[in-house]
Amino acid sequence: MEDKELSSGERKLECSDVSRCFQLLESILDGEMGEESKDLLQEKLAKCQPCFEHYHLEQAIREVLKTKCTKQPCPEKLADSIRQMIHDSK
Amino acid sequence: MSEVQRRKYSQEEKTAIFDGEFMPHIDSMYNFAFRLTFDEDDAKDLVQDTYMKAFRFINSFEQGTNAKAWLFRILKNSFINEYRKKSKQPAKVDYQEVETFYNSDDVDYQSTTDLRAESVKDMLGDEISNALNALAVDFRTVIILADLEGFTYEEMAKILDIPIGTVRSRLHRARNLLKEKLKGYAQTMGYNTDEEEE
Repeated sequence: MEDKELSSGERKLECSDVSRCFQLLESILDGEMGEESKDLLQEKLAKCQPCFEHYHLEQAIREVLKTKCTKQPCPEKLADSIRQMIHDSK
Repeated sequence: MSEVQRRKYSQEEKTAIFDGEFMPHIDSMYNFAFRLTFDEDDAKDLVQDTYMKAFRFINSFEQGTNAKAWLFRILKNSFINEYRKKSKQPAKVDYQEVETFYNSDDVDYQSTTDLRAESVKDMLGDEISNALNALAVDFRTVIILADLEGFTYEEMAKILDIPIGTVRSRLHRARNLLKEKLKGYAQTMGYNTDEEEE
């Protein structure tokens, strides 16, 4: 791994509680944990290689979905035709 | 979100809510509809139906609350009740089957792929879109809601009428399936995967 933050040599290579850690990491990425989880996150990422890798992969997935996933352009006339239908139904 | 009729809006109020709180979400609504139906005409009909229903039931919407989530819920219910039945493309995965398999809330959070973050970042929008579109509709839906539209677990639970724990586990499962698809692309495109690590 060519990591920017820490070399992998300083992290443990096995995570003792993958299930709980990964669920926590994913909840943090989904914005479901409060500010106080940030310290815990930094601590985990600094100490545990599987958590570090999982976090960065999950982060990359969310990022590309958010930024690169092509949005289908809404047909221009759709909004007008909806307004017309509402108007006619009154 | 409740269906209880809370108030009676005047015609002016109805129009103000409709134009001010409902119509601004039309792009997101159309995008969601298109990713559910994969058909421009069906997506248009679905969005139109949703807005007609929203107007008809506008008295059960509380002004100033989360209009986007309210509209998404109507759209998703319309899709399930009407469009899914007549859809030319049969659902690939049976809903019940998916539920029994994956909805135990204690999902196994193992590292399931050796896909690398770097390879994912290099992928094109089309590859990501195709991978997303290849997922069964229930998995596709949670990813659209969470990642494309930014809904919280709680909002998603209300839109989908499922418990928060189920939102979390279905989302986890959906992203794992997506990773499998992306890994397939990564390998065909010759991106780096861990298999070729020294």
